[in-house]
Amino acid sequence: MAVQLFFNGLVTGLLIALPALALTLIFGVLKFANFAVGSMVTLGAYAAWVANVRLGLPLSASAAIAAVTVAAAGVASDQLVFERLRERGSISLLVASMGVSLIIENVCRFAFGNASRGFDVAPSRPIRWQGIRINQEQITTAAVVLVCLVLVDALLRFSPLGRAMRAVADNASLAAVRGVERRTVARLTWALVGALLGVAGVLSGLDRAIDPLIGWNYQIPIFAAAILGGLGSPLGAIAGALVIGVAEEMSALVIPTNYRQVVSFAVILALLLFRANGLFGAKAARR
Amino acid sequence: MIAYLITITILVCVAALVGLALNLQWGLAGLVNFGVVGFVAIGAYAAALLAPEIGWLPAMAVSAALSAAFSAGLALLAIRLEENYLAIVTIGFGEVVRLVILNEPWLTNGALGIADIPRPFAALGDAVGGDAVFLVFAVALVALAFVTLEGMARSPFGRALRAIRDDATVTSALGKNVFALRVRAFAVGGAVMGIAGALHAYYLTYIDPGQFTPIVTAYAFMAVIAGGRGSNVGLLVGAGSIMALLEGTRFLKDFITVIDGVQLSALRLGLIGVGIVLLLILRPQGLAPEPRRRTSDVLPDRTTRS
Amino acid sequence: MTDSFVVNRRAVVAGLGALPLATAFGRPALAQGAADVPLGMVLPFSGATGSYGPAMKQAADLVVAKVNGAGGILGGRKVKLFIEDSETSATASVAASKKLLEVNKVELVGGFWGSPEALAAKPVILAANKVQMLSCAANAVTEGDTKGLIYRLQAKSSQWGPAGAKVMEKIGAKKVTVLAQQNPFIVAMVEPFKAEMAKIGGQVMDVVMYNPDQASYRAEVEKAFGPEPDAVFVLPLLTDMVSIAKEIFRGGFTSKVVSLGTGADAEGKFLQAVGPEVAEGIYHLQPSPPIDSPSYARFVKEMGAPEGTVFLFAGNAWDQVCITVLAMEHAKTQEAAVWTKSVREVCNPPGEKVDDVVKALKMIRDGKKINFNGAGCTCDFDEKGDSINRSFYVQLIKGGKNTPVGVVS
Repeated sequence: MAVQLFFNGLVTGLLIALPALALTLIFGVLKFANFAVGSMVTLGAYAAWVANVRLGLPLSASAAIAAVTVAAAGVASDQLVFERLRERGSISLLVASMGVSLIIENVCRFAFGNASRGFDVAPSRPIRWQGIRINQEQITTAAVVLVCLVLVDALLRFSPLGRAMRAVADNASLAAVRGVERRTVARLTWALVGALLGVAGVLSGLDRAIDPLIGWNYQIPIFAAAILGGLGSPLGAIAGALVIGVAEEMSALVIPTNYRQVVSFAVILALLLFRANGLFGAKAARR
Repeated sequence: MIAYLITITILVCVAALVGLALNLQWGLAGLVNFGVVGFVAIGAYAAALLAPEIGWLPAMAVSAALSAAFSAGLALLAIRLEENYLAIVTIGFGEVVRLVILNEPWLTNGALGIADIPRPFAALGDAVGGDAVFLVFAVALVALAFVTLEGMARSPFGRALRAIRDDATVTSALGKNVFALRVRAFAVGGAVMGIAGALHAYYLTYIDPGQFTPIVTAYAFMAVIAGGRGSNVGLLVGAGSIMALLEGTRFLKDFITVIDGVQLSALRLGLIGVGIVLLLILRPQGLAPEPRRRTSDVLPDRTTRS
Repeated sequence: MTDSFVVNRRAVVAGLGALPLATAFGRPALAQGAADVPLGMVLPFSGATGSYGPAMKQAADLVVAKVNGAGGILGGRKVKLFIEDSETSATASVAASKKLLEVNKVELVGGFWGSPEALAAKPVILAANKVQMLSCAANAVTEGDTKGLIYRLQAKSSQWGPAGAKVMEKIGAKKVTVLAQQNPFIVAMVEPFKAEMAKIGGQVMDVVMYNPDQASYRAEVEKAFGPEPDAVFVLPLLTDMVSIAKEIFRGGFTSKVVSLGTGADAEGKFLQAVGPEVAEGIYHLQPSPPIDSPSYARFVKEMGAPEGTVFLFAGNAWDQVCITVLAMEHAKTQEAAVWTKSVREVCNPPGEKVDDVVKALKMIRDGKKINFNGAGCTCDFDEKGDSINRSFYVQLIKGGKNTPVGVVS
C-alpha cells in the first residue's frame, strides 16, 4: 500500500506541477502571487469540455483549445487589470488577482452551472505492474506534464523570450534600459502561463470531475508547491509539486485522511520557519 | 421590512467589526491576513461553547482573548515573512481552523454545528423587540471598536505602524521594534475578529463549519478596499455598501426572471470580483480615503520592498 | 448621534410593537381581497451543494403554475412563490429567510436542502410563527421545540444508516468499510449504520472520513478499498462521488459499492457525468418516492426528465407547495399558525387517497376528508413533523441504467 500511495503521490504531484510552474513564472517576472491560478485551471477544464463534449473534438485538440483560451484570458486579464496596477506594488496585484479569480470562476458557473461534468473519454482499468496499479490517465498525465516541462525549460533557456523573461525577473528597470520591453514580456509570460494552466485544467478534469471549484480545490497545494520550491524558481516549483503530492498521499498512512489537507500547510509553515527561502530560490523574510 | 433591515444591519455590524480589524492589520500596519475567517471562527466557537457555562459577556471576552492569542501566536511565527508568503501562511491557517472544527466533534460537534446558542437580550421581549435591542448592542460594539481603533491609529502606536507600512527599514533604523509592533497589531486585530465571531454566533444562535469559508475573508478585503486602506470611516462605508450590494441583488430576481438561480448567484459573486478590480484600478484610495498624508502619497507603494 | 439614535430606536420599537396589532386587524380584510398568497423557499444555487437547487426550483415553479392555472386557492387567489439562494451557507440562509418573512410576507419558508441552513433559519422562522418545511436530514432540526410548525419531507439521517445496513445484508456483504464525507447529513448516518450492521452480524472494519472540496480522493479510496472488504458504504454528495467512482474504477477494486442517491444518482446527473462503464455495479438507495403511481410518472414527465428518473429532492419541493396550499384551503386561511394544524388533516390517513393537487383542492372544497400522497413521499407526518412510513428504494446501475433492486424499510 505504501508503494501505491507513493506512486499515487507522484501523479498528484505532476497534476499540480504545471499550475505551480505557472504561479512561479508569474511571480518571477511580475513579482506577485497570482491567486487566479486555480480559476484559470477551471477555465481550462471547461474550455476543453466544450470542445470535447459539445463540439465532439478529440481530447488532444480540446486541450489545445483550452491552452489557447486560457492564454487569451491571461493576456486579457493582464491588459485589463494587472498592467494598470503594476506600479501599485505586489499586494494590490495580489488582491486584484483574488478579484479576477472570483470573476473567472463565476463566469464558468454562469455558463455551465454547478453540475459535475466529465470528458467524453472511455475510462480504462489499471495496468498492474510489480503490485502497483497504474492507469491510462496517469500515463497520459505524466507524459503531457513532462513534455510541457521540457518545452518550458527549452523556452526559458534558449529562446529570446526566455532570456527577456529572465532579464525582467532579475531587474525590470535594468532590462528596460537594455531595450527589453516589460509590457511585451509580461504579455508573453501571461500567454505561456495561460497555456500551461489550460493544459493543467484538462489533466485535472481527466483526473476528477469538472465543476466550478475544480481549480480552487488545488489552490493550497499549488501554492505550497511553488513556495516549497522557492517562489520564482521553475525547477523548484516542479520539485515542490512532487514533494507535496507524495507528502499528501503518503500522509494517509500516519494521520486520519480528513486531516490530509493540512499537510500542504504544515509543509509550507515548517519550511518557511526553518529555511526561509524554500528549497531553491528567493528569500521569504522581509529583512 | 424593518425586521429584515435590522437583520441586515446586524450582519453589517459583524462585517464592519471584521473589516475594522483587518483595516488595522492590513490597512494601517501593511500586514496581509488572508486567514481572517479562521480568527472569526475561533471567536464564534469560543463564544458558543462558553456562553452557556459562564454567561455571554464573559464568553465574549474569552473569544476576544483566545482569538488574540492565536493571532499573536501566528504572528510570532510568520510575521517576519514577506507578504506573499504571509498571505499563503494565513490562508492556510484559516483552512486548518476550518478542518479542525469540522473534524473534532468532541469539541465543536463537527459538521453538525452548535445549535441553541443563548442569545443575549432574548429574555427582553419577542423576536422583533429582542432583535432591536441586539442591534443597539451590535452598533455599540462597532462604535466601541471604531473609537478604540481610531484612537489607536492616532496614537504613537498607530503612527509607528503607519511608518512601518510605508517604510519598515527606515522605521527600524529610527529605533522602533518593528517585530513587536507588528505582532501587537496582529493580536489586536485578532481580538476584534474574535468579538465579531462571538457576535455572529450570538445573533445566529447556530454555527457550523460551513459558515466560515474564505468568502468571509474576501468580503472583509472588499470592505477595506472599498473604504480605502487605513481609513476607519471608509471601512464603515465600505462594509455597508457591500452588504447593500449583496442584499440588493436579492430583490433583483423578484423582478427579473430570465436568469436562473445558479446564474444569479454567479452574477452576485462575479460582481464582487468586478467590484474589487474596478475599485483597485479606478479608486485605489477608496470611497473615504485615509485623511493624512503619508509617504506613499508622494512615492509609489514601497511596502513590497524589503 | 447618540441622542438621535435613541429617538430612532424608540420610534422603531414603538412601530414594531404596533405591528402585530395592525396585522391582526388587517388580516381578515386582506383575506377577503384577491391579493396573492406569498410562499417562500430557500434553495441552494451556489456553493458546494449548488447542483441540487435548480431541479427543486423547477418543480416548485411547475406546481405553483398548476395550482394558479386551476384557479388558485382560497377563493380564487393566486399563489406567488419567492425563491432565495441559500449559497450553501447558514448565514446567507438567515438573511434570505428574513427577507422572505419580512419583505415578501411569506407564510411558508420551504426548500432547505442543507441541514445547517435549516438549523440556522429555524429560530427566525419559528419566531415569526410561520411554517418551515425541510428537505434535509439532520435529526437536530426537528428536535427541541418546533411549535408544531416544522415539517420534514425527507428521511432523517438516523433512518438512512440502518437502511444502508439492510442493503448490505441483502447483497451478502459481511465485512464492510465506510467512506464518508464529513457533513451534517452524512455523519449522523454512520453510527446508526454501525449499530444495525452489528445487529445483523456484520463487521465495520474501518470508517474513512474526507472533507468536502478536496482536490483528490485517491488516498481515501485506497484506504477504504485497499483491505478488500465485501462492500464499501460510500456516503457522498454528487461532485465527490463522480471523482470517487472514477478512482474506484481506475483502481480496479473489486469490493461492491453501496452508495446514496444523493451522490450516485442525483436525478440522473451522476450517470451523465461518469458514463455507464464507471457507474456499472454501483448500488444506491434513497427514500422512495411513490415510483409506481401514475401521478409520479406524470411528475417526471412534467419535469422533462426521462421515464423512470427517481427524483429525490425535486419531489420534496413539489410536495411542500402542495401540502401548503391544501392545508390553507382546508383551514380557509393563509395564516401559517392556523393552517399548520390542518397539515396532518389533509396528509395523514384516514381519508380518500389523492395525489393530484388540483383534484385534492377540489375535494377539500367539497368537504371530503383526504389523504394526500406526494411526488416525493406519502406525506404522512408524526407529531414532531418528521415524515413516517419511510421506505428506501434500492437501485443497481447496470448497463448505463438504474435498475430497481427492491425496497428496504
